[in-house]
Amino acid sequence: MKYVRFILKSLTRSKRRTLLILSTITLSVFLVTVLQSLLTTLDAVSNNPTSSNRLVVRHKSGLAQVLPMSYLAYLKQQPEVEFATYLQWFGGQYKDPSNFFANFASDETTLFQVFKEEFGASGVTEDQIQDFVRDGSGCIVGQSLADKFGWKVGDVIPLQGTIFPISPRLTIRVIFKGTKPSQENVLHFHYKLLEESVPRMKGKVGTFFLRVHNADEIPRLSARIDNHYANSASETLSETENAFNLSFVKMLGNISAIIQGITAAVLVAILIVTAGTMSTAIRERTTEIAVLRAMGFRTGLVMSLLLGEGVILVGAGGIFGVGLASLAAGGIRKGVGASVPFLEDFTLLPSTMLLCLGITFVVGLLSTFIPAYQATRRPITEGLRSIG
Amino acid sequence: MNGTLNGSMNGDAIIKLRNIAKSYWRETLEIPVLQGIDFDIPKGGYYALMGPSGSGKTTLLNLIAGIDRPTGGSLEVCGYELNDLDDDELAAWRNAHVGFIFQNYNLIPVLTAFENVELPLLLTPMSRRERRERVEEVLALVNLEDRMLNYPRQLSGGQEQRVAIARAIVGDPDLLVADEPTGALDHQNAEEVLNLMARLNTDMGKTILVVTHDPKAAHHARFQIHLDKGVFDKTVEVNR
Repeated sequence: MKYVRFILKSLTRSKRRTLLILSTITLSVFLVTVLQSLLTTLDAVSNNPTSSNRLVVRHKSGLAQVLPMSYLAYLKQQPEVEFATYLQWFGGQYKDPSNFFANFASDETTLFQVFKEEFGASGVTEDQIQDFVRDGSGCIVGQSLADKFGWKVGDVIPLQGTIFPISPRLTIRVIFKGTKPSQENVLHFHYKLLEESVPRMKGKVGTFFLRVHNADEIPRLSARIDNHYANSASETLSETENAFNLSFVKMLGNISAIIQGITAAVLVAILIVTAGTMSTAIRERTTEIAVLRAMGFRTGLVMSLLLGEGVILVGAGGIFGVGLASLAAGGIRKGVGASVPFLEDFTLLPSTMLLCLGITFVVGLLSTFIPAYQATRRPITEGLRSIG
Repeated sequence: MNGTLNGSMNGDAIIKLRNIAKSYWRETLEIPVLQGIDFDIPKGGYYALMGPSGSGKTTLLNLIAGIDRPTGGSLEVCGYELNDLDDDELAAWRNAHVGFIFQNYNLIPVLTAFENVELPLLLTPMSRRERRERVEEVLALVNLEDRMLNYPRQLSGGQEQRVAIARAIVGDPDLLVADEPTGALDHQNAEEVLNLMARLNTDMGKTILVVTHDPKAAHHARFQIHLDKGVFDKTVEVNR
């Protein structure tokens, strides 16, 4: 501890340089922390524990194709299935294309059974559900969506169809809270409204969602369903809801490789910048280092003091960077999350923060080690420039 | 030269040099700097090492102070054969036995006078309070007790050198080595520093070995050792 003051004072030798390198590290660590958190957020999309016991059945040829509604009867008959429901992506716009949010034509009764964790978290009462069920032009919306547009129960929402040639006016009957912010940026209205207004959707639907008793049964059930409809006019593709969600993430490209690539580039940049700065800082003190060693400071101790400087400097940058990322998380959820729905759940996990701090610590050690090693291995007399 | 430079004529030899040689290598070319240096210096002596540039006086001082190693010969200082000590042992030995005074003071610019003087004590088991008391004591000895919180840039050259002297003696070493200690000072400050070093020798019994070109500085010593081209030339007793 008696050397801490010495280390801290050494860092004040060139305040401008210390401030610049601190800022560089802070911004770099901020970037790395945000990128890594982005990765864990996207990873969570495909590892949602509440989705693990749900199976999605859709047309094998893609989401643009629809399946016969008659499939529902077969799906419900399967012994593994607890509840079954169906959804159709509506893709309606509210006033302006920039007001993007997910909206579905859904079965008003079974929706709450299949997604009971999500709706259960909001404390939606049976009376509220019945209000929605009774009103054919009723809809339910998530809390964050309601907050965003200032909606309240009873308000009428005009939706302009972009896929289907209808523009329903929907009355809000329920505002629910989800277990995650991304679950609240959604609107469901009665499937019948779509089916009755659009002739080509009569007896057709985009996806079935099945809730099973036991998640372990999903692979067997999935295979059975797909085999049953193999070689039919509408073949199916059954997959877990997590895998279904992951397919949307994958549409963004190989995000993981891109993020890890950028992270590696940033880390190498920090390493080079810090090593350059520490190298200059240490080289400027060649004589001082020689004086310390002449006084009796062992090589290992001098090396530790120099490494301590590097670690404290980079560590402080790391803490500031992670802190900044933590402060920015809310802004990312609201700002970027409005355009990329998955990012509404953007969260900095403690494990991610610790990982980034750990990486920063290692970078601090690595970047200081070589110049410190070279400086402490130089003969004292050479450092003193005193060969007579 | 061989024999004993028994300047003070009392006490045992604190420095014993036997056939000391030192060479530097430039690629495959050996450049001898010192050859056959062979003498003793008694405890409590005050010696000036003199000679023209390149005569090897600073190299010899560095060997005696344990910051360089000879390429030949035996070197016993303060009771230790320095060739037998490894680097860490040598560092501990320097901390316990040698105080350094440099031409350019070599104070740490980001530390106050107090903190600069305290540095060698950080290596000792002394408590914070003991260190503070000891630092205040030596700063008072060099008449800088009122400047202990000043940084080197806030001190004159003479004051900086006095801080450096305080740093050199704070660990109560047996031997003080100084390389051109007045080389960067004006006449008045140089005189103050030389008087202070003389007091350390007479009042505190410190053995002092100083490398200097300055005849006035050399005159404060009791003996002058002259080197020429890496070999001993002569010893001169200073007449006062």
